[in-house]
Amino acid sequence: MLVKLVLMLTLCLLTTGFSFNDLTPDRINAITSTVMSIGKAARPLGDDEEYYVGRAVAARITSTYPLYRNSRLTEYLNLIGQSIVLHTDKPTTFGGYHFALLDSPEINAFACPGGIILITRGMLSSVQSEDELAAVLAHEIGHIIHRDGIAAIQSSRWTDALLVIGSNAAREFGPKETAKLVSLFEGSIDDVFKTLVVNGYGRDQEKAADAAALGYLAAAGYDPQGLTGYLNRLKQAGQGSKGGILTTHPGTEERLENVREAAVASVDTAALPRRNKRFANMTR
Amino acid sequence: MCILLCSLCCLNAAAETIRVTTRENAVRGDCRFFAPVKLKVALGDLLTVKGRKGDWYLVSARGVNGCIHKSAVESRRFASSGRGAATGGSSADEVSLAGKGFNPQVEAGYRKSGKNLNYAAVDEIVRITVDEKSLETFVLQGGLVQP
Repeated sequence: MLVKLVLMLTLCLLTTGFSFNDLTPDRINAITSTVMSIGKAARPLGDDEEYYVGRAVAARITSTYPLYRNSRLTEYLNLIGQSIVLHTDKPTTFGGYHFALLDSPEINAFACPGGIILITRGMLSSVQSEDELAAVLAHEIGHIIHRDGIAAIQSSRWTDALLVIGSNAAREFGPKETAKLVSLFEGSIDDVFKTLVVNGYGRDQEKAADAAALGYLAAAGYDPQGLTGYLNRLKQAGQGSKGGILTTHPGTEERLENVREAAVASVDTAALPRRNKRFANMTR
Repeated sequence: MCILLCSLCCLNAAAETIRVTTRENAVRGDCRFFAPVKLKVALGDLLTVKGRKGDWYLVSARGVNGCIHKSAVESRRFASSGRGAATGGSSADEVSLAGKGFNPQVEAGYRKSGKNLNYAAVDEIVRITVDEKSLETFVLQGGLVQP
């Protein structure tokens, strides 16, 4: 990264008639500061900033879909989620992973940037085993790790943010800067929310999240076939109704084909009956 | 030009410490999850790197040696002269302000934007945790793979 920045700066200096005699300590500091700013603009959001974006997205989702407060089921969901997360490339995030249930009969699931994963009661009712539920969570974890939500934010907002914060990382922004950043933040949340709730991710992003989910499931010891089972439930649900995840996750048949074709590592399924039993106990 | 290049390169010079980038984390006695926690660390803490073992850093902090997962620290290395070595040197806000500007101050402004937002539910969600012992038992009982 630094090499790229130095090359970029050198090119800029040479093309603007730069003279070595112009270099004073103050100018060196100014140039260094500018180069660091360019680097900052090119860099994706930090984990901490992604956390604040994710919180805001979750705040919008939960204003539409209220929380389903069932501590037993919520704990179960979190135990499954954490069992998977520890086998991913990113087992820890700034604020950690948290899984919660939404009180809606609609079949849906949302991956908010930074690690908040929300699934509806309807989704929970649609799956028929712990391994299928694990597949739902693994897919959403895939979206978080691939930063698909963050990718939905228009790139022009990053350059706008740079214009506001300038070359120095201020410890606290003034009212004017804060107002501009809040407006940019609001726009960014709209971008992510629209993708998660209205338009859905792109086909490639869905494919990549499914591929990642297969790997996470196998690594955690869950049967990757759980993903096939979950997609079959979606397909069945799609025959009867529209809306929810069927709006934002089209092409279930295509996803099923991709999953069937993927080379999936086989896992020991000896403990499957034990997991099925605890799923039945939890969801009855 | 040489002075400039040198000053830029110094910013990237390999140093002895890495910084914790998660709100809270742990230095463990062994390089695996569920290994006993030897030291709790927080955002901004600086840890001295002793080596690498797979996805884990072997680190030293406050007189304790142990392991921390690579996803919990900034891979960029920091000068050891930096503030607050392993003592919670920089605050959460200071670290977050170093990026694009999306931080608690901006969140506070967004909350006042009049949009339909349920931050109370979000605060409830982020308080959900499972303790490590329960997770370990859950993994074992379900015949899952120990991380």
